[in-house]
Amino acid sequence: MRYLRIPKERIGVLIGTNGETKQKIEQISSVKLEIDSEEGEISLDDREVTDPVLGLKAEDVIRAIGRGFSPEHALKIFDEEIEFFLFDIYDYVGKKENHVSRLKSRIIGRDGKTKQVMERLTGAHISIYGHTVGIISDLEFMDVTKKAIDMMLSGSKHFKVYRYIEREIKKIKTSGSMGF
Amino acid sequence: MARKGIAHIFSSFNNIVISITDLTGAETIARCSGGMVTKSAKDEGSPYVAMKVAQVAAEAAMEKGIDSLNVRVRGKGGRKGGSPGRGAQTAIRALVRAGMKIGTIEDVTPHPHDGTKPKGGKRGRRV
Repeated sequence: MRYLRIPKERIGVLIGTNGETKQKIEQISSVKLEIDSEEGEISLDDREVTDPVLGLKAEDVIRAIGRGFSPEHALKIFDEEIEFFLFDIYDYVGKKENHVSRLKSRIIGRDGKTKQVMERLTGAHISIYGHTVGIISDLEFMDVTKKAIDMMLSGSKHFKVYRYIEREIKKIKTSGSMGF
Repeated sequence: MARKGIAHIFSSFNNIVISITDLTGAETIARCSGGMVTKSAKDEGSPYVAMKVAQVAAEAAMEKGIDSLNVRVRGKGGRKGGSPGRGAQTAIRALVRAGMKIGTIEDVTPHPHDGTKPKGGKRGRRV
């Protein structure tokens, strides 16, 4: 048994219309979910799991939904090649509201442009929710995406981040998969 | 002679170490790390090498009669943070493919309950 906690307003998304999303998670990973919709607490029962890796990933899927991803995108995490990572803006500037919202807007950009550009370049999904930045990305480009968000949060100029992503992706593509 | 063991997987950004022990954790049965299967230092942490490492460790353990494992994955942890690296998932999959039965998977990354100050000073790292 493992326990998780997600924001209350995301519980509805986790369950889905008529429990659709919850059922899908249970079907793919064969964990049993018990959701307390008043507290936002979720308990995972992984005693009947057939593939232990999927059981482990179910936790990531739930966390991703809790951090603002749509179920469609979050369910992609069950794929072997795709992973989830979470940044906490508090780690970079502390809890000052002004700073947190400044960094959030840096990543989002005007009309979400910066976020869109980064998603298009890396093929990742990015979600900014509260004081966290979540990414769902292909394993191959995960390191680049992580570094790019890290650069953005620690104050690099936008064009420098774009240039970094373009350069690194080109490097990975020419050297073949996984750097071999 | 079917015995159960624990596979301790330490996976960081730069390396991966797998040691398979008996259930008490005191007796090491097989051990393998990134540097034992690849020559170039930059590949030690890559998913492909993680697969190789898991294969080597699993084979050595199976020869000694271990056929099912509990897995404990661990990332760098501490104040440097970080969850298990990119190799951990592939390593577990490779263990399954090598014929091991996997019981539970546990994340044992050490997380500080507020520890020491991270390095870099008040104004961060200045380049």
